[in-house]
Amino acid sequence: MSKARVQAGGSPVASITVVELAQSPAGEQTGKFIGDLGADVIKVEPPEGVASRHVGPYVKGHEGDPDHSLEFWAYNSSKTSHVVDAATECGRREFAELLARAEVLIVEDVRWLARLGYELDALQQERPDLIILSVTPFGLTGPWKDYRTSDLIALAAGGMLNSCGYDDHSIPPIRPGGNQGFQLGASFAWCALLLALIERKNTGRGQLVDVSLHESNAVSGELANPYYFYPKAVVQRQTNRHAQPEPTQPATFECGDGNYVYFALILAESKAWSTLLTWMDDLGMAADLLDPAYQDIAYRQRQFGHVQELLEVFFLIQDAETVYHEGQRRGLPIGRLNAFEDLPNDEHLQARGFFVDMPTIDGDSTKYPGLPYRFTAFEPVPGRPPRLDEREAENA
Amino acid sequence: MTQNTYANNTAESVMSGVGDESRRPRPRTGPLAGVKIADFCWMGVGAVATRLLADFGADVIKIENRKRLDMPRRLPIYKGDVRSYGNEDPNPDPNKGGLFNNYSRNKLGITVDMADPRGRELVVELIEHCGIVTENFAPGVMEKWNLTYPDLREIRDDVIFARMSGFGHSGPQAHYRSYGPVVQAVSGLSFNSGLPGREPSGWGLSYMDNQAAYYNSAGLLLAIYQRMLTGQGTEVDVSAVEAGIGLLGSDLLDTLVNDRPGRRADYPRGNRLEYPDAAPHGVYPAAGDDQWVAIAVFSDDEWQALRTAMDDPAWTAEERFATIPARIANQDDLDKRIGEWSRGRDKHDVMTLLQNAGVTAAAVQNAMDLVEHDPQIAERGTFFELDHPVIGPALFEGFPGRFGTSRPDNWRSAPLLGEDNAYVFGELLGRDADTLAQLSAEGVI
Repeated sequence: MSKARVQAGGSPVASITVVELAQSPAGEQTGKFIGDLGADVIKVEPPEGVASRHVGPYVKGHEGDPDHSLEFWAYNSSKTSHVVDAATECGRREFAELLARAEVLIVEDVRWLARLGYELDALQQERPDLIILSVTPFGLTGPWKDYRTSDLIALAAGGMLNSCGYDDHSIPPIRPGGNQGFQLGASFAWCALLLALIERKNTGRGQLVDVSLHESNAVSGELANPYYFYPKAVVQRQTNRHAQPEPTQPATFECGDGNYVYFALILAESKAWSTLLTWMDDLGMAADLLDPAYQDIAYRQRQFGHVQELLEVFFLIQDAETVYHEGQRRGLPIGRLNAFEDLPNDEHLQARGFFVDMPTIDGDSTKYPGLPYRFTAFEPVPGRPPRLDEREAENA
Repeated sequence: MTQNTYANNTAESVMSGVGDESRRPRPRTGPLAGVKIADFCWMGVGAVATRLLADFGADVIKIENRKRLDMPRRLPIYKGDVRSYGNEDPNPDPNKGGLFNNYSRNKLGITVDMADPRGRELVVELIEHCGIVTENFAPGVMEKWNLTYPDLREIRDDVIFARMSGFGHSGPQAHYRSYGPVVQAVSGLSFNSGLPGREPSGWGLSYMDNQAAYYNSAGLLLAIYQRMLTGQGTEVDVSAVEAGIGLLGSDLLDTLVNDRPGRRADYPRGNRLEYPDAAPHGVYPAAGDDQWVAIAVFSDDEWQALRTAMDDPAWTAEERFATIPARIANQDDLDKRIGEWSRGRDKHDVMTLLQNAGVTAAAVQNAMDLVEHDPQIAERGTFFELDHPVIGPALFEGFPGRFGTSRPDNWRSAPLLGEDNAYVFGELLGRDADTLAQLSAEGVI
């Protein structure tokens, strides 16, 4: 692996050592967050490697190779890998030595920790300075604490899935892609770790933090909970737009090149209406919308169906890239539904240097997403994910 | 949007609430006690970011403008009045909005007209007092007020300045307008969700208002920790689009490393997985209108457990369902059969039955289920209640975990418009009552 480089200034977590017992995107992403900022993250793995190394997709030509899993690469940059065999005395001693060096332990499964010779309660007593960050499917307590999860299950139980899918309710709710059920747990675990580090700086004490994926999903539904907390309404899913108590107009438009844009026209917003009208007129597509009657909000709202049809045609005669940039140029909040291949070529992302050139284990390099935040005081650049049992950091 | 001005009598009419001792600002507890933030954040993504800091003891002083109300104050999420947004009350009571209450609990609230030099002067003093400034305006607003990072460092050299925007504060599209669904579209998070061959189903919420907010919280906490260690401040720049791209996972790497395009016939995959192998893996009908249960089977052992839990229907013994590759090859029929089994059953009963048998499964819960049914949420106390002078008692979404010692300090529901003007401008910044009365009468605060 290569450790994260801190190009300028000093990273506040550079001196911290973390031991990570994780193999789902929840715990792994949490370790990545702190590792990408320059902490020493020691990823402890069983002899065959963690589960994420055995999940595809793989680098082409290396199918099944645990060092070339892109699922692993996605969540394990800037870490070292230490194979520790919990079945051997030697392995357990080695783990004890690693843990003795650490300020933070990330743990997804207390049974794995137990096999390595530690119980949570005893460990807290033995190491009051240690921050133990537990990230589990439902939390360490409660009637569902032993229930199993997956990304789909976390999204379903936590209420996120209920808001996502199509207008056609004969189709079940559809899982949003990218392991977001796990990612919500990782985001809260990361904030919890930072709070615990701040408290430790003030008091010298560590603590056990018990983050629940289920709860992380259950508090992240945006409008869904407030709609129940206040008017007792249950929101209904709609295609690629906000689930609401009642149906609203579609906001996804197909363009002439087969790609899509998102644009929610709020007819009560007079400025947006006149901007859109000017744009349509410039392309000779405003038709009868130029009728002064449409200056009246109530009239526009009554004619919504007709407005929507003209809008569909207006977008369909243009390509999505043009619609996106021209709409934004005119001040409308409109977005192209980018596919992955659109992103590295985006001139804005290029100007910001968002993608970094990440060295690969084959001596090659690949584009890799950069950090989600930028600081003037310090500039870390993530290092590559480790091979199985790659213990020493290369000089970056 | 309408530019109604909420005159000071709105605040005065609720000053009765200020007399309530329980709402009076007090020293906070928690790991961030003593941290003070001059908070320009508004909308969802900004307000949720600073909410976490307010929960854990920071004095987050929310700076509002009576001439341009924070959108969550206007969005029609009211007790006893079901409205979709888009169907807002044209003249809303700014203290009635449930979403604002949800987003701004534990914060202090002041009103200032930044266009008035006396308003700006008060804010400069507040920034000097606090040492942390947060904002998520469209790029250009802080510049217009001459409150860029170099300007702020003139006020206080160790200042932390956290900026949150859709596209970040540099680059040719920094000025592009966005909110959650636009961020999701541009970052690829809408494209990656849906059934193959159909338009993307994307998200039914502003997911990135929450996720970018959590990253904003983390960025702020990092800056605070850095200043504790070194005494030095920093500017923090978060682009929600970049945060979204960072959430795409291995699908993005498959394109970046293997040149495999996202635009292909079999992508996205709906509720099925390409990796790892899993079948059944889907969302199945349950008893009731539009009720569903999710089931995820990753191994043959789990399949056997599912068979047993279903009482071994004869079809489950068929060779074409015996192994994972066979079940994947026959997924359409498998999903149909599972759906026939689940259709008449209560979604929570299925969840309990399957989880107790060792099968990964869950009811597709809605907010009503989370509040009224979910025994885990109830036991863990994920939602908590606070009273509010206009709204009354309401539930709130708490921190989704438990700490040994760093407890949240849930001391007050969201501030009424201008509720803490007297405390902040009077007690903290030393303006006397006559000055405050004049500033209020002239619409400066």
